[in-house]
Amino acid sequence: MSTETENIESLVNRRYEHGFVTDIDSDSLPPGLDEGVVRAISARKNEPEFMLEWRLRAYRLWLEMREPNWAHVHYPPIDFNKISYFSAPKSDKDRPKSLDEVDPKLLETYDKLGIPLHERARLAGVAVDAVFDSVSVATTFKEKLSEAGVIFCSFSEAVENHPELVQKYLGTVVPQRDNFYAALNSAVFSDGSFVYVPKGVRCPMELSTYFRINAANTGQFERTLIVADEGSYVSYLEGCTAPMRDENQLHAAVVELVAFEGAEIKYSTVQNWYPGDENGKGGIYNFVTKRGDCRGANSKISWTQVETGSAITWKYPSCILRGDNSVGEFYSVAVANNFQQADTGTKMIHIGRNTRSTIVSKGISAGRAQNAYRGLVRVMPQARDARNHTQCDSLLIGKDCGAHTFPYMEIRNPSARIEHEATTSKISADQLFYCRQRGISEEDAVNMIVNGFCKEVFKELPMEFAVEAQALLNVSLEGAVG
Amino acid sequence: MSVLALPDKALRTAVRELPENALAANRQAALARFLERGFPTTRLEDWKYTDLTSIADISQRWLESGAPTATAASVSGRVEEIRAVVGIDWIVIGNGAIVDGTHIAGSEGLSIATFSELKHAPGYEHPLADLNAALLPDGLHIHVHAHSHHDRPLGLLFVDGADSQPGVTQTRVFIELDEGSQAQFVEYHASIGEADHYANSVVELSLAKGASADYVRIQARDGGHTQTHRTAISLQASSTIRYSGFDLGGRLVRNDLDIDIGGKEATVLVGGLYIAGDGQHIDNHVRIDHRVGPARSEQEFRGILGGRCRCVWNGKAIVQPGADGTDAEQSNHNLLLSERAEIDAKPELEIYADEVKCSHGTTVGQIDDAALFYLRSRGLDKQDAMRALTRAFGASIVSHSPIAAVADHLTEIVERRLTALTEDSDA
Amino acid sequence: MLEIKDLKASTGDTPILNGVSLSVKAGEVHAIMGPNGSGKSTLAQVIAGHDDYAVTGGSVEYKGRDLLELEPEERARDGIFLGFQYPVEIPGVNNAYLLKAALNAKRKHHGLDEIDAFEFLKLAKEKMVLLGMDPKFLNRGVNEGFSGGEKKRNEILQMAMLEPDLAILDETDSGLDIDALKAVAHGINSLRSPDRAIVLVTHYQRLLDYVEPDVVHVLSAGRILRSGDKSLALELEEKGYDWVKEAANA
Repeated sequence: MSTETENIESLVNRRYEHGFVTDIDSDSLPPGLDEGVVRAISARKNEPEFMLEWRLRAYRLWLEMREPNWAHVHYPPIDFNKISYFSAPKSDKDRPKSLDEVDPKLLETYDKLGIPLHERARLAGVAVDAVFDSVSVATTFKEKLSEAGVIFCSFSEAVENHPELVQKYLGTVVPQRDNFYAALNSAVFSDGSFVYVPKGVRCPMELSTYFRINAANTGQFERTLIVADEGSYVSYLEGCTAPMRDENQLHAAVVELVAFEGAEIKYSTVQNWYPGDENGKGGIYNFVTKRGDCRGANSKISWTQVETGSAITWKYPSCILRGDNSVGEFYSVAVANNFQQADTGTKMIHIGRNTRSTIVSKGISAGRAQNAYRGLVRVMPQARDARNHTQCDSLLIGKDCGAHTFPYMEIRNPSARIEHEATTSKISADQLFYCRQRGISEEDAVNMIVNGFCKEVFKELPMEFAVEAQALLNVSLEGAVG
Repeated sequence: MSVLALPDKALRTAVRELPENALAANRQAALARFLERGFPTTRLEDWKYTDLTSIADISQRWLESGAPTATAASVSGRVEEIRAVVGIDWIVIGNGAIVDGTHIAGSEGLSIATFSELKHAPGYEHPLADLNAALLPDGLHIHVHAHSHHDRPLGLLFVDGADSQPGVTQTRVFIELDEGSQAQFVEYHASIGEADHYANSVVELSLAKGASADYVRIQARDGGHTQTHRTAISLQASSTIRYSGFDLGGRLVRNDLDIDIGGKEATVLVGGLYIAGDGQHIDNHVRIDHRVGPARSEQEFRGILGGRCRCVWNGKAIVQPGADGTDAEQSNHNLLLSERAEIDAKPELEIYADEVKCSHGTTVGQIDDAALFYLRSRGLDKQDAMRALTRAFGASIVSHSPIAAVADHLTEIVERRLTALTEDSDA
Repeated sequence: MLEIKDLKASTGDTPILNGVSLSVKAGEVHAIMGPNGSGKSTLAQVIAGHDDYAVTGGSVEYKGRDLLELEPEERARDGIFLGFQYPVEIPGVNNAYLLKAALNAKRKHHGLDEIDAFEFLKLAKEKMVLLGMDPKFLNRGVNEGFSGGEKKRNEILQMAMLEPDLAILDETDSGLDIDALKAVAHGINSLRSPDRAIVLVTHYQRLLDYVEPDVVHVLSAGRILRSGDKSLALELEEKGYDWVKEAANA
């Protein structure tokens, strides 16, 4: 094993030791949203004028937009005036003092996922001393990246240190007016990640939010912007397999990716926000806009996601295949158990010549959950020789859940070759008995079959992530059979 | 939000001037509902790809010119043409008026009557069925008696159109198959005349336990004419429907096929072929609702698109809670022959039960290069080879069409349409 | 090893086994023959613990314990192997994975460490050579897209790997061509040992040309009508099942 990998592994193993880096004064803004709030957020973050203007424009657009009403997603109305749009991290005195005060069920889950004891406290939001023994690790990490010329920092830092890059690319993939939640995010986003990979650079390591200083508590309106300049490569990992508690019910993130000629961006997500309890109480509403722009010829954007959390997930990581020969990929596993609702899929917009897209979606429904794939493949008239292959498979576990497929294909060029296939199946009693006759317990057999079903997607994840994702899937489906 | 509405007053007048019969009260109720909602717009998910503006426009001009009713006699030329080539018993509905065919009523095991005679109120509550029920002069009721078997297909010929003034016609047929009965139907839509025309029709089929129906729908309207057509089929236990639809003509055509499976062991086999050329918009929406299982549905639609045209295919299979043992398959294949053709395909599955087998497959592509080369290497010129392969693409739907009596005619009109299309595309 | 006494079982309201008694000792090979619908497969499934069948009477003892109390996986770990008549496909789960999981479940049950990956692969390849199987099989999904013959060989491979104490092979010979039949028979014979019992459930006697049974039973309408040595199988082949039924009724 190379020393580099070892370094990364040791980083991975130590990732939860970071603690909170900054301690912003706990002067949260009162609930409610108006221009004053937008100005206050911008002022609090010492943003330059252009950012304030940009936020205000988004806010004005948002005012004129209507909240979407999705056909297959059901939840009580959200009162946007009851949300506090700027809240500092909770101060220690408001948090659980020790693990004894944390919901035992959450602790049980950590146990099953094999999360080390010292990490559990941080994940559960227990007040831990922010000991900075890891600063050196982070520094080594930052040095390596800066040697390569890669910029990887929080969005706030990017606005401060690289305003010209932010101004040039922000909102060029997901415009402010794109949709209701993207507009809201544009007006009030709290923080997020920024990555710039210069021409010809292959980013020397997987970038992960684990490593980013200030990653903690980016809040409910997260914004990520990744720019891969000509001929560069970057792999970015978002999320974490451990279930994250959050006080904010609404999460509306925006992710923008830009790939120039010959560049490749690989974006992997494991989403495991609190899904609510087994009776459907509580849980996060996760309304995310993710889009990648293959702006240059021969560029490639690949989305891989494992979605197991949130009460409601609404997201369609998309690719605009503008450059000739550009490639878009979407690999997804979405699990919905108990009362969860997942409505996810992708959009592949073929504009350039000889563009290719691949969609592999695996939906698993259990309990009383509803799981929908919604996707669009559009081939524009000028997109000669476009290719798409879509495979949508649903696995049903139990009688009370639902699995739905809503694909749209809009094809305006005769040279397009488009293939779409969808299947629905269940774990059969015969499969379970076969495994049990070979000595494998029912629970292991279910896990084995589910993981087999998801294999095509898991193989797209970076190795450590894939292993964690499998364990996560097993925990998410616990009790679904039997 | 834009609304596609028709002028209240003129519409009310048109309804008032319809023949006074038992349908009057029902017309008023349907009218009220249509006035409330208007034509469906592209804002509605189910109508996303179907813009009815031109249909609303024809309807408006028709109302403005005093809602004229062209006579059934004016289409007799076209009727005779069809009679001459398809030798089955036809009931003719010309410009919305039931003009012929009641002579068949006497045949054993079959009763034919009008809605007004039976005081049968046509249903509405569906977009455009409202308009149909509001403006319907009268409907045709066909009753197939229990355990009667009819080997000779019964033809329903809808012909509309006029030369001078824009026209709007409403047609409605209700077919009731009693327990254990068997029958075959051919539904033929055609039109003539230079003036713009909008034909709005509704056909309902109700199959009782163990009943079986073979059904072929042929739509060969003239190039300038528009239609919206709704077919609703309900099936009870162990009943079977074999349905094939062919869309060859028309400028703007929207077909909705709604199938409701309400009994165990029902079987639904649907095939469809749409061929569109310059200036055509052909839209097929199929919804199969599996309310009860076990039951099986299979649908296969194929489209051949040339010139500047747009086709839409939306297939939806719903498996309701508890409909265990459902086996639902849908497929849709499209061949694009022109740079300016567009296909919008939307194969949907909505599944709320777990003992099911459901799948769908959709492809969009062009003639296989290897096959083309193979034929050319055997001496066919490129155009002939293209035509042969295009014909082969549509042939499976034509050959699986369930009624032998119209097979030759279908083959011929499909061939003629394809020849025109491939020639257009070559030019 | 296996002691079945007056076993009665039904599926739904339909009784299928109507009092089967059978005693199988270590080192023996038994063949259970019978016409279609006689209950052969049901007997195999009941021994393996399939919950489609309810035991309504009688007892089954295995290694001196009440077998009917155990879950299917417990029976498997304790050495019972069922070769399925129709092995199920499990898409995406590869053969090697299933085999290893099964082997380790058994080892764990017996207090042994998990087999290491290298050792496992070596063992699997050895057994595959023995059965004339392409090692690529290991990386394919469990029975996914296998032909009938491949599925049956795969069952024998699993048996060879798991080294059961009691193997019940349900119609393992059906649908096999002569080469596959010989390979399967070879696999079975190589497992014959004084500590192991094998029960062959079969409709025809042709497998018995290659795997010689110690005892042959004829099952009909959920009862064993007759037991004998291997000559009984030959006699059956010649005279048909009706002969046994008539003899039993006489």
